[in-house]
Amino acid sequence: MKKLLAMALALVMALSLMGTAFASDLAGTYDITIWAAENAVELTKKQVEDFNASNELGITFNATVEPVSEADAATQMVTDVEAGGDLFCFAQDQFARLVQAGALAKLGVRAAETVTANNAAGVVAAATSGDALFAYPLTADNGYFLYYDKSVIPDEDVDSLEKIIADCEAAQKYFAFEMQTSAWYLASFFFGTGCVSEWTTDDDGAFISVRDTFNSPNGLIAVKGMKKLVDSPYHLSSSSGAEFAQGAAAVVTGTWDYTTVEGILGENMGVADLPSFEVDGKEYHLGSFNGCKLLGVKPQVDAVRAAALHQLAQYLTGEKCQMERFEALAWGPSNIAVQQSEAVQANPGLSALLAQSPYSVPQGQIHGSWWDIAKVIGDDVKAATDEAGLQAALDNYYDKISSLFNLDTSALLFVGAWNGWNNADDTDTFYFKDGSLTLDVPESDYMGGRIVNPGDWGTDKGFAQVTVGADLIKDLGADNPDNNIVFAEAGNYTITLNGEAIEIVKN
Amino acid sequence: MSEKNMNVLPEKRHMGLKASRTLANTSIYILLIVISVIWLIPFVCILLQSFRVESTYQVGYVMPQQWGLDNYRNLFQTDFPRWYLNTFITALVTAVLQTVIVLCMSYTLSRFRFKMRKPLMRFMLILGMFPGMLSMIILYRVLSDLGLTQQNAVPGLILVYIASSGMGYYVSKGFFDTIPKSLDEAARVDGATRFQVLKKIILPLSKPIVIYTILTAFMGPWGDYVFARYISFGTSAGMNVAVGLYNWLNKDQIASRYTMFCAGGVLVAVPVAVLFMCLQKYYVEGVTGGAVKG
Repeated sequence: MKKLLAMALALVMALSLMGTAFASDLAGTYDITIWAAENAVELTKKQVEDFNASNELGITFNATVEPVSEADAATQMVTDVEAGGDLFCFAQDQFARLVQAGALAKLGVRAAETVTANNAAGVVAAATSGDALFAYPLTADNGYFLYYDKSVIPDEDVDSLEKIIADCEAAQKYFAFEMQTSAWYLASFFFGTGCVSEWTTDDDGAFISVRDTFNSPNGLIAVKGMKKLVDSPYHLSSSSGAEFAQGAAAVVTGTWDYTTVEGILGENMGVADLPSFEVDGKEYHLGSFNGCKLLGVKPQVDAVRAAALHQLAQYLTGEKCQMERFEALAWGPSNIAVQQSEAVQANPGLSALLAQSPYSVPQGQIHGSWWDIAKVIGDDVKAATDEAGLQAALDNYYDKISSLFNLDTSALLFVGAWNGWNNADDTDTFYFKDGSLTLDVPESDYMGGRIVNPGDWGTDKGFAQVTVGADLIKDLGADNPDNNIVFAEAGNYTITLNGEAIEIVKN
Repeated sequence: MSEKNMNVLPEKRHMGLKASRTLANTSIYILLIVISVIWLIPFVCILLQSFRVESTYQVGYVMPQQWGLDNYRNLFQTDFPRWYLNTFITALVTAVLQTVIVLCMSYTLSRFRFKMRKPLMRFMLILGMFPGMLSMIILYRVLSDLGLTQQNAVPGLILVYIASSGMGYYVSKGFFDTIPKSLDEAARVDGATRFQVLKKIILPLSKPIVIYTILTAFMGPWGDYVFARYISFGTSAGMNVAVGLYNWLNKDQIASRYTMFCAGGVLVAVPVAVLFMCLQKYYVEGVTGGAVKG
């Protein structure tokens, strides 16, 4: 009986596989659920109908569009992936969580190519884990910029943080910039001085390493600038556009508050990129996070249905639909063609975002705990009374990051010095993944590098710990105080960490 | 000397007593007024905000500049009526079924003597010590397999709320224990069945506790958020008011929905307030005054 059952099951499986293989025809009617932001529900319904009418594959979708906030989609989704929406919109910070939960279907090769070619690079990176794309970019407007009341702050002052603070204090009005409760806004100062916090994820959405330079001389400059802001009696830690109705003259927030602010300030509303701040006679333009919203496809049991859903997802995030979304909801597009259209360029909110974009950092994959650890800096800076206090705030941050992520083998990186140590563009930096890495060493005068800890860039281990492959590297002996590893000749090497020992193999 | 003093002293003491009582009462009343003002401010604010029509976001003042019913009208353009109906059906059915179950349970444990009575009570006591949240994930799984989640969340929620209601017998059993058994015995001698004893003797004597049971049974589902959100997740048609309204507080919606949220809050409070007003007199009524007379 059991045997019979097993055979029957095998037969069913084989048939279904064949079905998949031969299902070039996606025609059919599918009942699906789409999760979209509440204000986008009607538009999404219309767009699905447009797709039904226009697609040449004979696909018809009976779509139920449910209002689920993009900020909340991952929490809802991981409750029960099976019962979740077939297509769902979410803010990119939930991406890694969704990949880990197996709630996102990988894009096919052709879909991935189309998405990569048509969308801004930072947005594509936000939808990528490991080497694969897992979601379709929907918008690229999840960033922040400055809204101000023209009657209080003259246009010529908006370039300077100090002048804005002075204007606000003179008029006894508030400057709202969410410093104490949100790492998303607070990072602005750090990005302004060139600090980074970059995380790397693998194909499963797991975090494998971090490169974080908040605790550095530049980080100290950033917190000095922040100190100026938070010490003002007219600083308000908020990012709500409605603050203008309650005595604020400047608010740092995003496009989602545009209509609110316009309603309150009317003619007096001004928008601009973030200002610069001055520390020790040098100007630093505030940076920002530039995030996006993504559309995910839930993994499906039925491959035909999955293929049909991917078609719809591609349509919904394509040029036409992004343009419609811009026109109806003023959502900033991620599609390059739509970004360059005249209408988008003329939109004040999006143009301010565009003006800020040279200083903004694409919000890649960031570990969920980082937000809670980093937001404490704001309170610590406010409480600090001197430079030592500011440094303590950074030390505190660094300690928490390093204790949480155990930055030893998994997060170490190898920095090559063949182009000099100045490695700002990251080209000669290699991250250890599962304790090993492969790198190409080019022919140069100094074919060496060192294994460092990403937080403080101090040497972690090197030449002295090499147990296998000592013949491949130069024995510098006592002349090597930095414990550098210097290769004898150019080539492709694999470095493996085995506990404290280092093993080098030439490929 | 003594005569004079004796005349004066009681008079003095009497005055002092009266004065101190007035003073104490005044200060207590002032304190109570201050406390109730503090307690009422949020409710008054919500009520006033729900009538504000000049803007939909949060503002720094309480008194609306323009009054109107737009927020209430707009509520009916959304899924709010559906959420309201869901909540009402859930609460009503739960209130009826749970009350029946709790009262039967209490009566049984109070009046019947059977072998497993004590072990059963102990078992339920221990079960009750586990936080209900522990069972949430497995309950979700079960309901999901039965198809009672998302758009079918209402029957699913009713099932969950009444399933464990038998364990909430403590208060009413304690109350039934205070009603003399002689009443039961007298009725039984006159030929009443057990059910008639419950219906005709015990229940009329325990109105306050019946009302209390109905109220708590109604209030639980009415204000539930955590479990309702879990069961109805991502499906507007299955949400109750708490879950639906809370979604409006998301960053992308609060600016356009805040005053409607307040209006929704006011409407949610109405049935509960009405229920309390109607049933309050039973609370005030004497408990078992003169019951033993018969």
